[in-house]
Amino acid sequence: MVDLVQNTIDGLMIGSSYGLLALGFTLIFGVMRRLNLSYGPSVMVGAYLGTLVYVQLAAGPLVVLVVTVLGSVLAGLYVERLCFAPMAAGAGVASMVSSFAIWMQLEQAAVLVLPRHTYPFPPLATADPLAFGPFYLRVDGLIMLACALALSAGVQLLLYRSRVGLALRATINNPVAAHLAGIDVRTAVVFAFALASAVGGIAGYLVLATDQQVTPMFGMWATFKGLIAMMIGGLGSIPGAILGGLVLGVVEANSQWYFGPQVRDLLAYVLLFACLVLRPGGLLGEAPSRQQDTGRRGA
Amino acid sequence: MDDYLVGVLSNIGIVSFIALSAWLLLLTGEISFGQQAFFAIGAYAAGIATALWGWPLGAALGWSAAIAGGAAVLVGVPTLRLHGLYFAIATLGFAEMVRLLFEQFHYRVMIDGELVGPNGSDGFRGIRYIFENDVGSLQFLALIYLLLAAALAGFMLLERSRLGVAFRMIGEDDTLAALNGLAVARLKILAAGLAGALAGLGGGLYAHLTTYVEPRVFDVMLGVHSLAYGLIGGLGTALGPLLGVVIDIGLLESVRAFAGYRMIVFGGLVAVLLIVRPRGLLDEALVHRIGRLFVRAPPAGP
Amino acid sequence: MTALRLAGALAAAAACLSAGAFAQVGAQAPQAQVKMRAKADVACRPTSTALHYDCTIRLTNARTGEPLGGVTLTVGADMPSMPMMHSVRPVAAPPEPESGSYRARLALEMHGDWALQLNLSGPLRDRVVAIVRFEPGRAESRPGG
Repeated sequence: MVDLVQNTIDGLMIGSSYGLLALGFTLIFGVMRRLNLSYGPSVMVGAYLGTLVYVQLAAGPLVVLVVTVLGSVLAGLYVERLCFAPMAAGAGVASMVSSFAIWMQLEQAAVLVLPRHTYPFPPLATADPLAFGPFYLRVDGLIMLACALALSAGVQLLLYRSRVGLALRATINNPVAAHLAGIDVRTAVVFAFALASAVGGIAGYLVLATDQQVTPMFGMWATFKGLIAMMIGGLGSIPGAILGGLVLGVVEANSQWYFGPQVRDLLAYVLLFACLVLRPGGLLGEAPSRQQDTGRRGA
Repeated sequence: MDDYLVGVLSNIGIVSFIALSAWLLLLTGEISFGQQAFFAIGAYAAGIATALWGWPLGAALGWSAAIAGGAAVLVGVPTLRLHGLYFAIATLGFAEMVRLLFEQFHYRVMIDGELVGPNGSDGFRGIRYIFENDVGSLQFLALIYLLLAAALAGFMLLERSRLGVAFRMIGEDDTLAALNGLAVARLKILAAGLAGALAGLGGGLYAHLTTYVEPRVFDVMLGVHSLAYGLIGGLGTALGPLLGVVIDIGLLESVRAFAGYRMIVFGGLVAVLLIVRPRGLLDEALVHRIGRLFVRAPPAGP
Repeated sequence: MTALRLAGALAAAAACLSAGAFAQVGAQAPQAQVKMRAKADVACRPTSTALHYDCTIRLTNARTGEPLGGVTLTVGADMPSMPMMHSVRPVAAPPEPESGSYRARLALEMHGDWALQLNLSGPLRDRVVAIVRFEPGRAESRPGG
């Protein structure tokens, strides 16, 4: 029982980073109705720049954070420019495949600049875990959880309480009508991409600072964790993204403890598959409608 | 022929099967990230059949296509009501499940003084049929391309048939297709089954070519690549995915000189290509235009 | 359902075609005489050049355990995680003075697990796969299935 609770606590903490990745995914998907496979790799590019200033210039954690986020945003905008902006409406699949090609490109570029397999990342918090009776709370985990809740609340507020958010929601709802109402749709899209990449960059920083190292595999890891958490929580829902991340984290932490890493990965995909088949809208999302059929020709 | 060239050509032929498999689903409007699962099932099935059960190659390949096609039909039923991204992610989830299950799959048999068979994440070595039976590498290459030619001939027939039209119609708009009396659900499962069988056949050939498979071979990279081939080469004809494979593997092989920058160049090329031709090099419009060269121009309208 | 019938016909046609193709290969299937089989031990060491490795391959007859000399050996490699993509062009592995011993120098594209394909020709035609993990400064053979 103690194990179960402790695993669940650990799972909630790592899950909050999945939730943040899913949040970025859901923002891009909400606006574009297209899947950006390069989302994780662009965060990885940011993280590589972060570790570069950390290793070369001995920069402090705050500088590394800023560089990571800025790098992620720049890489995200590069992906938007190349894979999404020039694509005609109705070329959703082309955008997705193109973002995959750019993924390969970003990954190789990162490996060329920093060829070793792992690079160090500054630790988030070196304080000892807090003890509550038999349970331990890791300080970096707590920071991660707090950041996830604060950021998702912030994004929710931005979307529903600000003019920029209103413009974004109008674009999500109907780009043509938004354009007719005088909204600069192009800017709205770029803004959504930048925001999503910044959220992803923060998530990436938190995860890597907890691991204290970064590898080229991080891009793929981030894309898949974000994707799974988003689908479990419900496409297009911000609370859903966070909830999906937390659920995924708890399931992973417990299955890792009881059955080992291979079964952990297997169970994560079983959860994803079952969720899609039994409840395609996810835990908090709306059931898929024809409009959301991104990959289909008309989308 | 140079052994190396034979090897590259064999690879191109085998990858073409899984590319065609993903392309067939694209035709019906569905994106699959998971065709590598059926490739894996086919590879393991065929390898087990020849190496552990002593089956002849032909039977093993037929069996690999059948079991992969069957698996595709079984997965097709629950995922049928999903579309677009939902379907794509469901196939991804399924494929990763299959790969991770193969990591747990142990089936070792003592053959000729040695343990042979799938051994979890350590893989499955010793699928030595073509060496034990003196099938030359050129002969095996011929077999690959014969089967590929048969598959292509099948696609050519399909394109001329009502079934091909039905597939494309569903891909265009499945509500409209249903309104026109097509049994959309059954046709989609049929397409999924055919695609699975194609991938399985490719997997069976792959296992015998390399004599060795392991679960890592069948990860998402393979699936996304095979999906990309169809889109690079073009959605207009079954030659499209083949063209995509030839471009990718051919280019990768020929530009060895700038090895470290290869993906940077290739990734950029693909991205630019897809901006210019979002439905690939051989898209429907081009195929139609080429096709018109071979038939008489229709009489001018009034 | 004309569509389904057509599909059936199509599948049948494809099956006939492929059956024809197999008949020739399948006919050679009788497993009466068991052929000789090779077994390989591979040991690789890093060289002064990054990503270049010197590999010593000891071939034995899997049944008798005797060293297997006099075959022509080439060594190719690909990465299991990227099948058919990052393959290494096969290099010749000339024999060493010691019988059954061969040496090849591999130039890899990146570190990680590689599946080395040992292609034997000459008196014995066979292919043996060895999995080796190459890391900066070291290489280690991995057991396989």
